Amino acid sequence: MKVNGIAIDDTFAEAFGMAGTGVIITADTMKWARIAAVTMSGFGTSVIGAGAEVGIDRELSPDETPDGRPGVRVLLFGFSPESAAAQLKTRVGQCVLTSPGSACYAGVDTKKRIGLGQGPRFFGDGFQTSKRLGKSRYWRVPVMDGEFVIEETTGIVTDAVGGGNILILGNDRVGLLETAEAAVEAIGGVADVITPFPGGIVRSGSKVGSKYAGAIASTNDAFCPTLRGRVKSELAPDTIAVLEIVIDGLTSDSVAQAMKVGMKTVLDMGAPKGVTRITAGNYGGKLGQYHYKLRELLP
Amino acid sequence: MSGLTFRANSAPSERLNLSHLTPKRIAELSQSELMALNVGTTTKTLKLGDVFTVSGSAGDSVRIEGATNRMDFVGSDLKEGTVIVEGDVGLSAGRNLRGGRLDIRGDAGALLGSGISGGEILVKGSAGSLVGGLSPGDKFGMTGGLIAIEGDAGDRAGDRMRRGTIYVRGRCGSFAGSRMVGGTIWTELGFGTDPGMLLRRGTLIGPSVERMLPTFADAGDHDIVILRILSRYMASVLGAAAPKALPGKVRKFAGDLATIGKGELLITS
Repeated sequence: MKVNGIAIDDTFAEAFGMAGTGVIITADTMKWARIAAVTMSGFGTSVIGAGAEVGIDRELSPDETPDGRPGVRVLLFGFSPESAAAQLKTRVGQCVLTSPGSACYAGVDTKKRIGLGQGPRFFGDGFQTSKRLGKSRYWRVPVMDGEFVIEETTGIVTDAVGGGNILILGNDRVGLLETAEAAVEAIGGVADVITPFPGGIVRSGSKVGSKYAGAIASTNDAFCPTLRGRVKSELAPDTIAVLEIVIDGLTSDSVAQAMKVGMKTVLDMGAPKGVTRITAGNYGGKLGQYHYKLRELLP
Repeated sequence: MSGLTFRANSAPSERLNLSHLTPKRIAELSQSELMALNVGTTTKTLKLGDVFTVSGSAGDSVRIEGATNRMDFVGSDLKEGTVIVEGDVGLSAGRNLRGGRLDIRGDAGALLGSGISGGEILVKGSAGSLVGGLSPGDKFGMTGGLIAIEGDAGDRAGDRMRRGTIYVRGRCGSFAGSRMVGGTIWTELGFGTDPGMLLRRGTLIGPSVERMLPTFADAGDHDIVILRILSRYMASVLGAAAPKALPGKVRKFAGDLATIGKGELLITS
């Protein structure tokens, strides 16, 4: 099946259940809210190696934040609520508490809660105070530029989805990257999702296992163009590069919507940029409980 | 919003205890049981039907018309729904309120909102002493919720208050926030003498203080983020009746240093 000259495989992306949470980071300016958010998201690419998958969902106007300052919503996904909470605690403590002018609030509103300010508040060494307004409790931790305000808890979604994906194949590496960048930007407009890898794009897709003992994942040789001829390749002779966009979302619908938006962008602009094919990563459907069939997500 | 309306026939001959008149409680009563409720406070049994004419049908609100300052415990233990009072109320209105809204369209007596832990109390007029304060036998004053007073508040507002917010569009009397262990008191027209006496934690906000205790330390001018959240919280609860947002910078005085000193008095002008 081809759309706009781009082949779409009859396959599906296989995704996994995850625990997802979120925070709203505010600061005096959007620049500093973003700096804190980007720092907190650093080394948050794959839950396997980084402990959590973290990224910016979207920027928030002053009207949308609890304190009326510019803000950024960051989402964090982990294997379990406990591992997500542990990652949240260290990342907020090291990257948001330390950022000038920052404050940190719940970014997900669910009945089930995990600690947000319960750890960082102890940085106050007994000088911290709290204030409960309505249903929310805020900690005020004295720091050198004033006070770091942090909400006590945030929500956690236990049926979030990690690992939605599309693979973009083509014969022009630069054009492929430009297309993938545009797709990531379009996905940025979908609420409740993140693309956790660098710039939202992965060039090192992996397969399960390795010839080396102890390595749980290794390079996806079937999709490595330079190995064509040596391995059972999945690539056509003219394919010289493959890029993957991995999507995590608080809901299955949001992941499906993000894949749809991403595919539409690739199909709209990809052909002149050298894109020849779209496929998706899966493990035969036996590992992940969420399957997103590409052809059902066509615009 | 549907509910029963209780109209006072005449000025009561004794102080009344109207703690029974919440939507949930009266919904559990038949008409005859309702009219036979003892609302008196003396050995002479005074039935509700002797004092009030009742109209309407049970619902999520109660309306009391012709109220006077001899009617005590109005809206007491309210958990949900609304109690609207046309007129004044006496002692301990909204005592131990846990949810819902008590809307008093007159003045309130002493101990307004004593022991409340949730919900809102709105007063169109002024309130007496010990707003949200400690009642004898209690461990703390208010522990949550919001009390908003359009007029003035008497002395010792928020006495031994632990959580929640008291907003006074007028002026607070003397010793506001005495023995307070948490929460917020915000006055638009300033505090009387010695606010925050033995304040342990909590926030007092106002444009002026008639006389400051010597046990409060000047901590300088600051842009305090929590005040932005407070302003937004008030707007979310009170809507158009919410106060103007607090200024970016306030002068902070830390105290009461005669205790643990983790409280603060914030001067807005």
